Amino acid sequence: MTGSFTWADLVVALLKIIVVIGFLITLAAVATWGDRRQSAMVQDRIGPQRAVVWLPSLLARVLLGLPAVAVAGLIIVPLMGAPGGPPAQQLQVLFQRTLTGIELAILVGWFTLLVLAATTRASGEGNAFDGAVARLDPRSYFYIGLALHLVAIPLVQIIPPSIAPHAARAAVVLAGVAVLASGLYAAIFRVPSGKVPLRLAGLLHAMADGVKLAWKEDLRPKTADKLLFALAPLISMFPALVTIGVLPFGGNLCFIDRAHNGALDFGDLTAIAANVERSGMCGKGYVSVPLQIADLNIGLLYVFAIAGTGVVGAAIAGWASDNKFALLGALRASSQMVSYEVAMGLSIVGLVVVYGTLQMSGVVGWQGDNAWGIFVQPFGFLLFFAALIAETKRVPFDQPEGESEIVAGYFIEYSGMRFTMFYLGEYAEFAFSSALLVTLFFGGFNLPFLHPDGIDVSFGGTSLLKLQLSHFTVTLLQVVAFFGKTVLVTWLQIFVRWTLPRFRYDQLMKLGWTKLLPLALANIVVTAVVVLALREGGATVKSALRWAADLTQAVVAVGGVAAAVAFIAWLLEPQKTGQFIHSTAARFATAQGGVKPQKLGA
Amino acid sequence: MEPLDLELDDGEIELPTEPMRLNLGPSHPAMHGTVRIVVELSGETVTKADVQVGFLHRGFEKMCERGTFTQCFPYVDRLNYASPLLNNVGFALAVEKMLGVTVPVRCQYYRIILGELARICDHMVCSGAMCMELGAFTPFLYLCKAREMIWDIFEEETGARVTHSFGRVGGMAAPPTSDFKQAVRATLPAVLALVDDAEKLVVTNRIFLDRVDGVGIMSAAEAKALGWTGVCLRSTGVAYDVRKSHPYSGYDTVEFDVPVGSRGDCYDRFMCRSEEVRQSVRIIGQALALLPDDGPVNVDDPRIVLPPKDEVYSTIEGTIQHFKIVMEGIKVPAGECYSYTEAGNGELGFYIVSDGSGTPWRVRIRPPCFANTSGLAKLVTGAMIPDIVPCFGSINMIGGECDH
Repeated sequence: MTGSFTWADLVVALLKIIVVIGFLITLAAVATWGDRRQSAMVQDRIGPQRAVVWLPSLLARVLLGLPAVAVAGLIIVPLMGAPGGPPAQQLQVLFQRTLTGIELAILVGWFTLLVLAATTRASGEGNAFDGAVARLDPRSYFYIGLALHLVAIPLVQIIPPSIAPHAARAAVVLAGVAVLASGLYAAIFRVPSGKVPLRLAGLLHAMADGVKLAWKEDLRPKTADKLLFALAPLISMFPALVTIGVLPFGGNLCFIDRAHNGALDFGDLTAIAANVERSGMCGKGYVSVPLQIADLNIGLLYVFAIAGTGVVGAAIAGWASDNKFALLGALRASSQMVSYEVAMGLSIVGLVVVYGTLQMSGVVGWQGDNAWGIFVQPFGFLLFFAALIAETKRVPFDQPEGESEIVAGYFIEYSGMRFTMFYLGEYAEFAFSSALLVTLFFGGFNLPFLHPDGIDVSFGGTSLLKLQLSHFTVTLLQVVAFFGKTVLVTWLQIFVRWTLPRFRYDQLMKLGWTKLLPLALANIVVTAVVVLALREGGATVKSALRWAADLTQAVVAVGGVAAAVAFIAWLLEPQKTGQFIHSTAARFATAQGGVKPQKLGA
Repeated sequence: MEPLDLELDDGEIELPTEPMRLNLGPSHPAMHGTVRIVVELSGETVTKADVQVGFLHRGFEKMCERGTFTQCFPYVDRLNYASPLLNNVGFALAVEKMLGVTVPVRCQYYRIILGELARICDHMVCSGAMCMELGAFTPFLYLCKAREMIWDIFEEETGARVTHSFGRVGGMAAPPTSDFKQAVRATLPAVLALVDDAEKLVVTNRIFLDRVDGVGIMSAAEAKALGWTGVCLRSTGVAYDVRKSHPYSGYDTVEFDVPVGSRGDCYDRFMCRSEEVRQSVRIIGQALALLPDDGPVNVDDPRIVLPPKDEVYSTIEGTIQHFKIVMEGIKVPAGECYSYTEAGNGELGFYIVSDGSGTPWRVRIRPPCFANTSGLAKLVTGAMIPDIVPCFGSINMIGGECDH
């Protein structure tokens, strides 16, 4: 950025902070809910999703219909006009619009039909159309949609330039109509009359819990140290909220510099650049807004430095509570942090050697240009992951809380809002740890073969498929990718938490000092030697590395798509429900018409 | 500058220390609300442990003395509430021993099947709770799911899910339902699959093995000296199972193995329980084949067994018989007896003294848990705080029968 700091910069910075912190807190709340939900899922019971807001039918219809109208308008209105610029670029833009419109229409189409079929099968049809849609298996819609997505790409390529403007308009209208139709259909036909329950898949329960905790009585033991007791939750909450600032959640966002002063003005914010170059740099005549709160050149060190202070909160809480369990928890927390901080720092050195930078934007950029961190440092990943779980004090490293041993550990005496701060701070740290893992090992906001100028599937320099995308689309994909990956890693961590037993305290220490630490050191040595050797290698080594890097991208792309397809297919798999043996009570309930319809709503 | 401690020798500058005393329980997540362990700690190591029981004392033995023999069944249900049917059978056998009657074959196998189902539940709850307290939540849920299937059968047979009160002197409260065999045959493979799943999750897990392997070791000699029985004793290598050593109720006609451990640590106790579940399934399979589809369930003795309801309402003999048994109780000949069976946790003994009336003069229970829990202090002394969890969990202390 060449210009001076303007008011617009300040507003944008505040916006970024709100987005990131909002995401972190929301994910933390969702993760607490997910943790509880996980146990419920295994047990086949309802779990924490009883919180409900009853909406009048009309309001529900408006809430469904209005966004559909707005989105459809936002798609159609700005994209109907002819693009400016030289003819070659015009054609490119028209082509992009056609493809985006058609793909969006297909996406909305199959998703709507799938949801319609699935819900109709579950809760009965509203009209003849529902019944007709539900006659086909929900999975079929997904597979058909997938095929259409792929077929659309070559089909769009063969559109002759003469009808390109009409095709683009038709595609945009198609997408708009698809959104409108699905939204309005849902609003008119699928909203039951009377009161409509809004549960957000149980997420309201997390909010209700938050509200409840805020109003709970705040107890403090008589003998507790007043100041430290109040201070500890604040200290614990602090690191996660501060460290997330250095993680980039998207690439550079380029705006056209309308005032030609090299600085960001409010007027510039309305004009996003149409396309950017492969490097992601905005170039002359543009101002760039990095999607990152602060791009520190010591990014990784900053993360470790601040994250390490979290344990101070735990130690102070344990001391100030004047409780033996709390004291034991605090001691465990302190010694665990000291041990695992070392292993964690060392496990990441190999990665730093490869990336050659501590700056987070550089780390992510390297992964976008080459391969994701997990392929470069698979061993380092395992070590770092283990140390990270220990750092966030989750099972199997949750000795500081050790529920069945020292009850709740260092926050045993806390209640009400102070307890919430500990709890939320812990889960925010947990969400942050997922974001950190994504940034360091899962390519950050990068998607395989997605570059700032569009999709380019190439191996070793030869391009197989090139597809230019607009700057806005690419940035949107990147942001969604970062947050989506973070959610996925969070999910993975929740799974770990619910499966593994916890270590014993001394075993944990042994693992840290005698296993993780030497292995991390060995990893550094091996990485350094390999990196040196490769750097000395000639052109053949370089091109081989290029090939290997592209191959990893292909693996991620194919694996990711396959996993997504498998996941959706699994979700839509018809579930065998019903009891194993119909006990007397179950038979009685069935004779009375069953219990399911009244179970949740009443 | 001159050092301050110049004239002091090392002994004098040491701060006076005293061991930290920590109260674990009775309200502690791992203590099930029924026991308190006062431990003295040196760091995390337990140097001294004082196990205090009695938090669930309900005067069970005294309560038995103020009702008829039949009225004791609800009380014995609540001894080991994880496997009430085994207690029912145990008490019924004790009174039958005094009366000198033997129940018909159909009842014997019915008792075996219900009892073994209850044993499976008991072992699953114990192993599952132990895993859960170690932090592995999923196995616990798997095992609870399996228990739920068995409870469905219990509900169908006895009308209750937890405390059945289904045993009677000289028989059972009701004959097997018509689809009993089918239900059990359909359930057991599903239960075994869940047990396998749960076991695989933990036994192939290094962390779990580290937590239980070599933790809480008890030698065979010490175990015998403490009066340990059941899984806890067998885990030390002593193959004592009442069902095998002193067969009762037709256990001598079915084939099964008695799994024993080699070291008597938490791992052995866990694995013995898992294996006993499989052996119980084996027993049930044979007993199902031997269980006659018809024939009497109760002994044919109007002094012991209540007449059918239609006879009570239509014949004078039936009315009198019903009145005598309900109001005065079953007249048990004067004398005393000790009868023991293999319950979920080990040898469950009932020592009964009768004065010839319909009310027991004295009922004394020999709960397996009491002896087993008395070894807990030995298990945890010298171990660390986290080791208390698997040790206590694998002992399977049940407050209901321990506190008498």
